Amino acid sequence: MRNIINKAEVTEHTIKLQQLGAKVTVINSTLCYVNFNLSGLILQYVYNVNFNGNYFLERIRPYPLAIQEISSERDVVKIIDMDIHKFKNAMKSSHIDMFIAMAKQINSTFTTFEDTFLNYNIPGEKVEKIYKKIMALELEIEMIREKAKSVEAIEKSELNDKNS
Amino acid sequence: MTSTHIIIALSIFVITYGMIISEKINRTTIAVFGATILLLFKVLTQEQAIENIDFNTIGLLIGMMIIVSILRKTGAFEYLAIKIAKKVKGDPWKIIVLFSVFTAVASALLDNVTTILLIIPITLVITDTLEVSPIPFIFPLILVSNIGGTATLIGDPPNIMIGGAAGLGFVDFIVNLAPVIIIIFVVVTFVFKLKYKKKMAVSQEKRDRIMELNEKLAIKDLPLLKKGIFVLSLTIIGFMLHQYLHFESATVALIGAALYLLISKADTEEILLEIEWPTIFFFIALFVLVGGLKEVGVINFLAEKLLSLTQGNMFFLVIFVLWGSAIISSFLDNIPFVATMIPLITSIAVMSSIDITPLWWALSLGACLGGNGTLVGASANVIAVGMLDKHGYKLSFIDFFKTGFPIMLLSILLSTVYLIIMYL
Repeated sequence: MRNIINKAEVTEHTIKLQQLGAKVTVINSTLCYVNFNLSGLILQYVYNVNFNGNYFLERIRPYPLAIQEISSERDVVKIIDMDIHKFKNAMKSSHIDMFIAMAKQINSTFTTFEDTFLNYNIPGEKVEKIYKKIMALELEIEMIREKAKSVEAIEKSELNDKNS
Repeated sequence: MTSTHIIIALSIFVITYGMIISEKINRTTIAVFGATILLLFKVLTQEQAIENIDFNTIGLLIGMMIIVSILRKTGAFEYLAIKIAKKVKGDPWKIIVLFSVFTAVASALLDNVTTILLIIPITLVITDTLEVSPIPFIFPLILVSNIGGTATLIGDPPNIMIGGAAGLGFVDFIVNLAPVIIIIFVVVTFVFKLKYKKKMAVSQEKRDRIMELNEKLAIKDLPLLKKGIFVLSLTIIGFMLHQYLHFESATVALIGAALYLLISKADTEEILLEIEWPTIFFFIALFVLVGGLKEVGVINFLAEKLLSLTQGNMFFLVIFVLWGSAIISSFLDNIPFVATMIPLITSIAVMSSIDITPLWWALSLGACLGGNGTLVGASANVIAVGMLDKHGYKLSFIDFFKTGFPIMLLSILLSTVYLIIMYL
């Protein structure tokens, strides 16, 4: 019964969206929720397997990030595995909480930014000012990255030390 | 058969039907469980269980579900509904009347649940556009979908079951039931006119919004639609001729379904996923459960009792079956009820050698129209009310009962007069 009510609701949405000018394609799919608990840090992913054989993967916790559209189920597991590995490493750092807080703040800032630019008439000089600040921030992150040692390199050297 | 078998079969039947009525467990789950317990206790062998399944009913249901699943993707229903709403320039009462006609006709050719699934979404779009409550629109549509479905072999699952068991065809149903259904439809529309017409004031500005809807945007796949009209027309012609060509109705539906799958190039796996498999398994399990009662002689016993109660008088039998079916189907799922009544009526024919054809019409009218009595009387009611609920409009059991039950009684009264004039 639930399935039939859902179908009817999808039809209603489709009609409304078509009247707005959209071309709507409805595809049967399976939605998978994946949860990891890394010593208290919850990582949650959601991916959608559809009939066309495509997979839409998204991380929803600790902060949302659309990862990508991929074409094989094996890649879904591989990408999640790599992501988990990165978080496991990041958890060794004392800055992990700060990092997650910053990532959440970036998401929140983006929402404010979008809301402001889509709902208000912003003067040109203000737009330019914000753009310059974003570019400056991006540049600073790039510079920090260039000077820092990659986690991969640290892991390799740790492995070499262990072997020798 | 031992008396232990009789007790086991009866107990399983009563407990299973009780659980179906209580809705505590999914109805398909409990029906399949009950049917398998009959096998476990050797009330039926597996071969006997399979023999009791009416594959004509199952085939007809699957065939029509496949055709509708593909047809649903074309947007034809939405196109026609918008066209109708624009034709009457957004007049709310005229929309209700024309949508009711559309729903009744569609329900006669498709099953009620499918019809509701197709008509409710577009009705909600119309009521959203007019900014009015959808209840005065959807309530009549629910009732007329149950009324329209009574007119044909394929309109309502009880008719499919009756047709399969009694050997009655598509034309038999139309000739014998459509006249009274048309009368009931007109009377019910008049009742709703009295109830809602004066409350239907909508400003011109809102009506103009209906005129802005573009029906052409609703068509999703024109070639698929053309093929669908071709297949559906062919299938309906097939239903009209199946008795003369000596085909079962399921054969016609399955040929239509296979042809549509072939020429539409639709994704077969995806279409087969759309089939209401729980309903199909529910039917299969019910056939087995009732088969158990038949096998142990309970059905024959009940038929004897009914014959002695009515003294074999056809007038009393018809009234008993019609009103009994209507009242029971108002509160309970009519499918298990009809599944039990079919072998009972067949046994009456064997025992008394009277012409039982009027009893089939009484059963069909009672079981199908009875569904209008309460909110839980038919699946279409539950689905439509569920949709209303999702939109924040409450049509409670009592609200439904206050209008639905008197309309149901009126329909059964009209059916009684019709059956007396035509057959008694």
